[in-house]
Amino acid sequence: MKILIIEDEKALSESIATYLKAQDYICETVADFNSAIEKTELYDYDCILLDITLPGGSGLSVLKELRANNKMDGVLIISAKNSIDDKVAGLTLGADDYLPKPFHLSELNARVGAIIRRKQFGGSSTLQFNNIVIDTQAKVVTVNKQGLDLTKKEFDLLLYFVSNKGRVISKNAIAEHLWGDEMGGNLDFIYTHIKNLRKKLVESGEADYIKSVYGMGYKFTAG
Amino acid sequence: MKLLAKFNSVNIAATIIVFMIGGLCYYFILHFVLVKQLDKDLKVEEQEIMDYVKVNKNLPDSTNSNDQKITFEPAGIAVKRKIVSTDILKDRNDEHETIRKLIFPINISGKNYTASVSKSQQETEDLIQLIVSFTLAIVILLLLVLFIINRVVLNKLWLPFNNTLDELKQFNLSSRKSLKLNKSSINEFKELNNAVTVMSNQVVKDYDSLKSFTENASHEIQTPLAVVNSKLELLMQSENFTEQQMKDIEIIHGEMRRLSKLNQSLLLLTKIDNQQFREMEEIDLAKIIKKHLNNYEELISAKQITLIQNPGKANRVLMNDALADVLISNLITNAIKHNIEHGSIEISLNKNLLSVSNTGTTLFNKPTELFERFKKDDPKSESLGLGLSIVKKICEQYNFKVGYSYKNEWHTVNILFA
Repeated sequence: MKILIIEDEKALSESIATYLKAQDYICETVADFNSAIEKTELYDYDCILLDITLPGGSGLSVLKELRANNKMDGVLIISAKNSIDDKVAGLTLGADDYLPKPFHLSELNARVGAIIRRKQFGGSSTLQFNNIVIDTQAKVVTVNKQGLDLTKKEFDLLLYFVSNKGRVISKNAIAEHLWGDEMGGNLDFIYTHIKNLRKKLVESGEADYIKSVYGMGYKFTAG
Repeated sequence: MKLLAKFNSVNIAATIIVFMIGGLCYYFILHFVLVKQLDKDLKVEEQEIMDYVKVNKNLPDSTNSNDQKITFEPAGIAVKRKIVSTDILKDRNDEHETIRKLIFPINISGKNYTASVSKSQQETEDLIQLIVSFTLAIVILLLLVLFIINRVVLNKLWLPFNNTLDELKQFNLSSRKSLKLNKSSINEFKELNNAVTVMSNQVVKDYDSLKSFTENASHEIQTPLAVVNSKLELLMQSENFTEQQMKDIEIIHGEMRRLSKLNQSLLLLTKIDNQQFREMEEIDLAKIIKKHLNNYEELISAKQITLIQNPGKANRVLMNDALADVLISNLITNAIKHNIEHGSIEISLNKNLLSVSNTGTTLFNKPTELFERFKKDDPKSESLGLGLSIVKKICEQYNFKVGYSYKNEWHTVNILFA
C-alpha cells in the first residue's frame, strides 16, 4: 500500500510517516505544491494525505488536478483550517474524507485504512485479527465463524483497535473517536466500555488482546 | 424630533418674534410720524390765528367743523403752550374718539385768552389700523408660504441623505454587498457619501483582515499542536518508560488536547461573532436531540443517569444546522458531565421552548455568570468553561432567550425560541 503525504510541516509529515510505516504502508512525503503535482502525475497511490495550505498553491488545486486527470487515488484532507467551507469544497471536489488538525495518529491511521478498504474492495472488505473477522460493510463481527453481538460503539471500538493493532492508543483518542471531541475532562467512563468489549471477546473464546498501558491508554495486541 | 420640525419651529418662532417686534416698531413709528404731521397742521393753524390777531387785534371766530375745532376762552393768566391727545366721548353710540389739541395763550391788549385748536385723530388711527392689519395679513401669508416651502423643499433636499441612511441601515458586513449611494449635487451630501463609502470600504477591509487573521491564528496554533501531539503519540509507542514517565506523557497529551479544544472553541465563538454561519434552514431539534442522546447513550448509562424526555409538538426552528448541532451537543454533554451518579436528565421540547435540566451539585455562583467565558462553578472542573458561552452566543445570534436556573440541586437551561 502506497501513501503520499503532502504536508509542508516537516515534523508532522515525519510523525505520520513513522506511524504509518509501522502499519506496513509505504510512505512518501512532499512539502510543496509543485512536487505534489509532479508526484501525483507520475505515480498512483492508494491514499493521499493532503494539507490545504501549501507553499506554492492550494491543496484543493492538487485535488482538482488529480480528479481532472481521472486519477482515483483515495484522498484524505488534513487541514488546520477546520472551516465548513473548506470541508464542503474538499468533499465536493472528490476528497474521501476530511480530518481537522490536530488529530490523533491512531485516528488518521483508522481513516486511511477505511479509505483504502473502500477504494480497493468497493467497501465490502473484511479485517482480520487472529480469529476475529470484522466485516466493515455489514458491520458484523465473527469469532471462529461465530457471530459476536456488539453494540455500535463496541463495534467501532473493536474496529479502531484492530486498525491500530500493536499501537498504544490514548484514552483521549478513543473518547474522541467514539463520541466526538465534546466529551473532554474525565475519561474514566472509557474503562467500563473497554471492560465490556474485553469480556465479550474473552467469552467468545479469544485471548485477552486488550492490554492496558499504565497511565497512557490501551493496546490491542496478540503478543 | 425631526430635523425639519425642529428647524421649522425655530424658524417660525424667530420669524413671529421678529415680525412682532418689527410690527410694534412699525406701528409706533407710523403713529409718531402721522401725529407729527397732525401737530404740524395744528401749528400752521396756530400761526394763522396769531397772524390774524396781530393784524386785527381781535380774536377770529370760533369754528367747529368735522375736521377741526377752534375755540377761545378768556383766561386769568396766560396758559402754558402744549399739545395733548385726549379721548372724548362722542355724542352717540358711546364711542370714544381721540383728538389732538393744541392749547396756546393769546394776549390781546393785555387780556389773556386761551386758544385751543383741535383736530380729530380718528383718521390717522384708521389709517394706522388699515396699514397694520394689511401688513399683518402679509406677514401671515409669508409665514404660511415659508412653512410650505420648508416642508416641500427641505423634504426634497434631504432625499439623498435619507437614501444614504437607508443604505447604511441595510449594510451587512457579511453579505458582501457594497453600498449603493445616489449621486447628489449638494456638496454636503457628496461629502457625506464619500465619507460613508470610504468608511464602509475600510470596515469591509478590516473585517476581511480580521477574519483571515482569526483563521490564520488558528492555523498557526493548530499546526504546532498537531506536531507536538503526533510526536507524543509516537513517544507512547516506545516501551522503555517508567510508570511515572508514562503518566507524565499522558498528562501532557491530555493538556495538549485541552489547549487545542480551547483554541477551537474560541475560534467558534469568533466565527459566530463574525456571522460566518449565515445559511439557515428549518431545523428539526427533536431529531438532533435524538442523535446526540444516541451518541452519548453509553455515557448516560455509565453514570446510571435516568433520562426523562417530554417531547411536545414537532418543533422546527430556523437556524444554521452546524450551530444547531453545536447547541444541542453542548447542552446534552453539559447535562451529562456535570451530573451525579444515579442522577437524572430531563429534556422538554415544545413549540417555543427547549429546556434541559440535570441533577448536580449545589450551585455556588450566580446562574447568569455561568454564561460568561471561562466561568466555571467548580474551579477544579476540567471543563473549559466555554460551553455555555457558546450556547449563549448561538442564542443571541437568533434572538433566542436563554436562561439558567438552579433549584434543589436541579440545574436547568431554558431556551425560548419565539
